[in-house]
This record gives sequence, C-alpha cells and structure tokens, in this order.
Amino acid sequence: MNKDKLKIGIYELTGCAGCALLITDCEMELIDIFNAADIQSFLMVKSDNIEGELDIALVEGSVTTENEIEELKDIRERAKVVVAFGLCASVGGIQARFGNKEWKENYQKIYGDMEMTHTKPVQSKPIDAYIDVDLYLPGCPVGKEQFLHFFTRVLKGAPPEKYPRPVCVTCKYNENDCLLNKGIPCLGPLTADGCGSICPNHNLPCTGCWGPAEGANPTSEYFLLKEKGFDIEAIKKRMSNYSGTKLAEFFEQFKKESK
Amino acid sequence: MKKISVDHLARVEGNGGISATIDGKIVSDVKFSIYEGPRLIEKLTIGRTPEEDVSMSPRICAICSVSHKNAVLRAMENALDVKVSPKSYLLRELMHMGEFIESHSLHTFYLALPDFLGFPNAIAMASKYEFEVKIALEMKHFGNHIMKTINGRYIHGENAVIGGFGKYPAREELLQIKTRAIHFMPFVFKTVNLFCGIDYPDCPDAPTLYACCEPGDNKFGFWGDEILLSTGKTFHRDDYKKLTNEFVVSHSFAKHSLYQDKPYSVGALARIVNLGERLEGEAGKMYKKYYSSKWKSNPFFHNAARSLEILYSFERIPELVDEILKLKEDKSIVDYSAENGKGTGLVEAPRGLLIHHHEITDKLVSQVDIITPTAQNAEDIERYCHVAAQKLLDEGKEDQIRDRMDIIVRAFDPCISCSAHMAEVRNAPKNNWKMQLEEVTQKGDPAFIGVGNPTLSDDGAGIKLARELKNAGIQDVLLESEIEQDEDLWINDSDRPLIFLDAVDFNEDPGKVTLLPLHLILNNTSLSHRLLPTVSGLINYSKMKNTYVLGIQPDSLQKGNQLSAPVEKALNEIREQLTNIREQ
Ligand code: SF4
Ligand code: SF4
Ligand code: SF4
Repeated sequence: MNKDKLKIGIYELTGCAGCALLITDCEMELIDIFNAADIQSFLMVKSDNIEGELDIALVEGSVTTENEIEELKDIRERAKVVVAFGLCASVGGIQARFGNKEWKENYQKIYGDMEMTHTKPVQSKPIDAYIDVDLYLPGCPVGKEQFLHFFTRVLKGAPPEKYPRPVCVTCKYNENDCLLNKGIPCLGPLTADGCGSICPNHNLPCTGCWGPAEGANPTSEYFLLKEKGFDIEAIKKRMSNYSGTKLAEFFEQFKKESK
Repeated sequence: MKKISVDHLARVEGNGGISATIDGKIVSDVKFSIYEGPRLIEKLTIGRTPEEDVSMSPRICAICSVSHKNAVLRAMENALDVKVSPKSYLLRELMHMGEFIESHSLHTFYLALPDFLGFPNAIAMASKYEFEVKIALEMKHFGNHIMKTINGRYIHGENAVIGGFGKYPAREELLQIKTRAIHFMPFVFKTVNLFCGIDYPDCPDAPTLYACCEPGDNKFGFWGDEILLSTGKTFHRDDYKKLTNEFVVSHSFAKHSLYQDKPYSVGALARIVNLGERLEGEAGKMYKKYYSSKWKSNPFFHNAARSLEILYSFERIPELVDEILKLKEDKSIVDYSAENGKGTGLVEAPRGLLIHHHEITDKLVSQVDIITPTAQNAEDIERYCHVAAQKLLDEGKEDQIRDRMDIIVRAFDPCISCSAHMAEVRNAPKNNWKMQLEEVTQKGDPAFIGVGNPTLSDDGAGIKLARELKNAGIQDVLLESEIEQDEDLWINDSDRPLIFLDAVDFNEDPGKVTLLPLHLILNNTSLSHRLLPTVSGLINYSKMKNTYVLGIQPDSLQKGNQLSAPVEKALNEIREQLTNIREQ
C-alpha cells in the first residue's frame, strides 16, 4: 500500500449510478486517476475493496433506506473529508421532492403494503441530513471537467474550487443568445453553474439539473423573470424537480429578499 | 472500527445481489435483489409537463440513460402524435448505437472476460491482455463520444427532445464518427471471434422464453412497435402488460415479471435467438458461423450475443451517417399541439426490452409506467442460479457455488453495481424450517395436504402427520385421497399458502425436516418428487411460489406400517410448532 498517496473511497447510495459511472467514463484519465491516488474502495469497478481510514470519501446518491443511514455514518467516521458527489447526495436528487406524507402515499401506490425483508425504506434525503458534509459537487450527473478539476486540486493539496455562480455566467462566456429573450423559460439564472451551459448551447432551456445556485441573486432574478412575463408558479414547479429538499430553503431566501 | 464490505452489506439484511441458502443437501432458497432504495420515479413526474418528464425519467439509470431517453421519447411522441423528421429519427438510432457500443464493450471485456479467462478482475487480466484491455477502453470511449456528440452529454444528455433535437451535430462531427467506426473494424472482428469462441461452462439445461422488440421489415434492430416472443407470438406495444405482469416481491425494490406465469429472459441473447437470422453483412456471416441451438439454454451465451451486436452496430454506423448526410437540413424540432394522449414506447436497452408508458391529460403527465429489463430478468436469474447451485451441491462442489452464481448474474448484466461481486452463499441455521414456517404463516393461514404411502413405513409420515393435525383441531387439513373432493381449497384460493406434508429423501439424517418452496423443487434435479406431475399441471407459477413441501427425511421405506423413531420424533416437533404458531 502506498503511504503518501491520498486514500480515497467512492460509495454509492441511492441514485442512478450516473455520478460514479461518470468517473469510469473518464476513460483516458482513468489509469492516471488510479495511479495518482490510492482508490481503496469503489464497488462499481473493483472487488478487492478495503474499508478503513480514508482521506476523502466521495458519496453518490441520496439516503433512502435505514441500511444506508448506517453505512453513511460509518463512512463519516472513517473519512477526513466527505464530499457529496452529485445532485442526489447534495440535495436528495429528483427522488427527494416529496414531503413525508406525499412520499408515503406514493410509496404505497407502488409497493402496496408489503413489508420489505431486506431493509426499511425512508423518505429520500441528502446526505447532510445525517452527517456533516465538507464539500458539495452537485450536478446530475457531476460534470467531468468539474470532477477532474476537483481531483487534481486536492491531489496537489490545493483547496477545491467552488462554483458560486448561476449557469448564465458560463452561458454568457459561450455567447449564446439568451433564451429568455425568445420567450423560453430558462432556469439558468437560478441554477448552479458547472455544466458548461450545455442546454442553452443546444438552444434548449436549462431544466435546473445542477440544483439551486448558492450565490445567485434570487431577488433580482425573480423580478427579471416576472418582468419577462413568465409564470412564477410554473418556474417554481420546474425548479423543484432538481432541488430536492433544498428547495424550501431556496425560496425562503427568495421570499425574504423580494420583500 | 466497524467495517463495511460487500459481504457486510450483503449480510445486513441478507441481500445485496444474489443469495442462496443451503439447508443440508439442498438449496432451499435463492433470492436476487436490488438493494438500492426505492426512488418512486414513476410518481415524480406526475403533474409535470411532458418536457420535464422526458428530462427526468431517464434518471432511473445512468447506464441505460440513452435507452431510457429513446423509450420515453417514443412513448411521448406516440401519445402526442408527433412525427419526427427522418433526420432526427436516424440520429436517435445513431446515439442508441453509441450506448450499445459503450455498454457492451464495458461488459464483455471488463466484467465478463476475466470470468472466463480465470482472472479476478480486468486489472489483473491487463498484464496478459494489454492490447485487448486498452482497445476495448477506446471502443467504450468511442461509444460515449457518439452519445455526447448527439445528445450533448455522456450521461443524461438533454439534446434529444420531444419533436427532435435542440441542435443537430455538425457534418464534420458525423463524418469523424464514421471514419472512426471503420478504423475499429479489425478489433471488432477480433472481439466476435473471441467471445463467440469461448468454451462457456455448461449450464444445467433450463430453457426459457425470450422476448424482444420486433423491429419490423424483417430487419435486425433495437426498437419497434411490437414485442416478439421466441414462440413467434407478437403483441402490439399497447398490450405490453400481457407480457410483463409485474409484481412486488418482499426482498427487492425492483419488481419482478412473469409471462403466463413463467419467467422469461430479455437482453442480447433474446435478440440473437429471436432475430439473429435477420443479420446481414459481416454480422450475418458471423452469426451463421457461430450460432447453434446450444445458445438458447445457456445464459453465458449472452456474451457471444453481445459481441455480434457490437459488430452489427459498427457496420450500421457508417450506413447511418451516410443516410443522415444525404438528407437536407430541417428545423430539428417538430412542434406539436396535442394536449391529451397516452402512448407506449418500446426499445431494446443493451440489457433488454425496456418499456415506457406515459399518459398526458390537459398538457400534464398523469400516469407513468416503466418496466426495466432487469426487472423482467429477475425471475430467470433466480431460476438459473438455483439450478446451477443445486447441481454443484449435488456434485459436492459447494465451494464453487458463490462464484458460479456471480457469473450467472453477471451474464445478464443487470447493471454495473449489481454485477460486481455480490453473490452470497448462506448456510441455513439449524431448524431453519421453524423460522420459515413462521414466515409462511405470516402470509396467510396455510392449508395442508398430507401425502405418501402408509404401507411403506416412513413413507407414510405425511399422511400420519395430517391425521394428527386434524385430530389436534387444525383447520383445512386434507389427505391425499381427499384432494379431489376439495379442489377449491387448494387450487383456487391463491392468496393462502399451501403446504404439502411428505417424506422427502434429500439425503440427510433421518428425521431431519425441511421446508421447500415448490417452484424450487420443480427445478431441482436431485429431488424427484412424485407429487409434481399432478400438481404442476394444476397450479400455476404464482400459486406454486406460495406452495411448500414440508419434507421429513425417511429412514426406512420397507413394507410395514410403523414409522421409525427419528421420524416419529420429527412429527411431534412439527405438530408442536404448528399448534404454537396457531395459538399466537
Ligand atoms: S445526481 Fe443524477 S446522475 Fe448522479 S446519481 Fe443522482 S440521478 Fe444519477
Ligand atoms: S439562455 Fe438561460 S442560461 Fe443562458 S443567459 Fe439566458 S437564462 Fe441564462
Ligand atoms: S439542465 Fe441546466 S444545469 Fe443541467 S446540464 Fe442543462 S444547462 Fe446545465
């Protein structure tokens, strides 16, 4: 075992496996990644996993069963830094939109009354509902560039970069015609940056898959969208698709500032 | 410090992937479960716009995200009566090829090949097969590149939308895809020869039914508007439920499926079995060279089938690019005005038939039903694993069961996380039947039928036990001779468990008791059970899954009407246990 390499573990809770898959999709960089760090545990690609002390744990997926709560707490105990890897881990993912009551009703509609023998399901929550999280890398899935940036920086001992901007910033760099001017409701102003503004690059509105932007200025965006004549209720509904449990907080701030 | 490991996870509640329970000389249970939590995806998009649904529902699974995208788009466009331009149609096919190349090259070279060449994993294999491992990675990358070029991202691209695409890829990008596809050809041939030429281990004969999309026009392909079965039967897409009949099982958040009460398989092998004859060009030649009837009953040939599909895709790509470039420019998105409708979309994901059904009411999504390939394969995965595990156990190779089940599950390529090493073999605790009996009685009040021949000493154990239970005042106990009088009780009442009481020779110490699900005995090569000819014709598979044999190992089957001492002792124990349960 290499002593001076960073010990990294990659874990999957409930999601679509897209964020972990994204790491394997860095084909050309994969061998370098495996050489540069000591990947102790990564179920998707290897079976000889070691579960011990870690420098960094990347956790994909939201928490939806009691087993996962236990697993997550154990990861926290072992890791110096825990990263919420992807939208599911950061905000609970698309599956975290339901409130508890709504969740129970919908759960019943699908699974009926059958008691599960393998574990107990719980309403979907982001990982920071159960443990302290040191860093968030949102995105559904995480962006490849964002991941590689993050990875190279921590390898060199530099603090990881944050993206406290909305998608519009990159969209402007990319010199796209703003879709709002064409009457198309784009969630770019409210959504965290990091994807490279892919959707507007393809003439399509942002659907918000990076979750709410931390450093956005919701008040001015609110007036902007309103002024452009968009239906604020429809925008909120759209925004909720990819905001998981963090939507309430977001609109709290939204409301406060717009007063 | 506590440790998490695959084993630990697998053991917590018994399941992460596949587990087998061994009770003495028999494999008494096999369970395949998806251990990921429930995400309720089908409910999340209700009340959203069709566009939001198209964006969100592929988030079910990243590994098949393009297949999900094409399936939801086909469903929506059927529902809203949208006809995309030929250019969009062909570009969608091209991005589908990207997913097949990506997924199949990852699976065959990185997950399957080490199994059959005897390496623990791909990294260990790389020292001897450096070239293959490296080029396979490039091939996978090429698949991703196609998806990214057309759909905007490797995973969950958003460029494909209802009506077409946000933006078409540039001509140069398409030409580059064509050139690269041609450059890969020598390696693609190598891939086919490698995977079709492997001497796959025998799998105990367990033929199954295969289902896939009917591409139409006597062509091979990855989507269609009908479902084709290996019997030749077809269903229109809107009748998909006649095939799938999904139901919930208590050991997994993924539902299972049965066709006419029997398990069936989907995936590469299903496509090659059902459609292989239609392959043209080099893929057609290779099919003729390698395909044999052996493929049909052995899931390991999924890998051979995948290699043929890789070749098919690489041959199709240059054709597709040429066809696309011949078409003149169009608006890329077709508008639509429908506000109501329902539609089903069928595609072949790399791991098999994928069905999306979406309904729109007043411009908003009102109903969603998604049936994934792995859910359809789950029953067959359990069945094949059970047959193989029992065979190894019979041959005294218990130590090989875990690995063998691992390989079988992996052959179906359920998804990457499931196909990592997750198999588990458990030894049943002592007196396991008592716990199982309690579990069964929780599902409902069982009916009992005692069977056997009282003139052959211990063979009369079932009959004697039934009589004693009757005397002890337990309800709904029948003797073999009374079966015909009371068919209602045991054939028609499908919710109640049914338990046969019988002497069963399972090669154990006399007097040992076991509780076996009947559908497992049916698969079982070592237990020949006299009941089966009668019963199997009469009760269907789901009833069978709720039917058990409480078996007692006999000592002597000589003429005589006395039970041996150990069997007598076992009867007492069973009676006690049952009266206890009834009293609770
Ligand atoms: S964040 Fe998105 S891509 Fe990542 S696991 Fe969750 S659903 Fe999948
Ligand atoms: S198109 Fe969308 S992301 Fe781009 S500037 Fe306009 S609102 Fe922002
Ligand atoms: S939906 Fe928005 S955040 Fe997501 S990829 Fe598109 S532009 Fe980026």
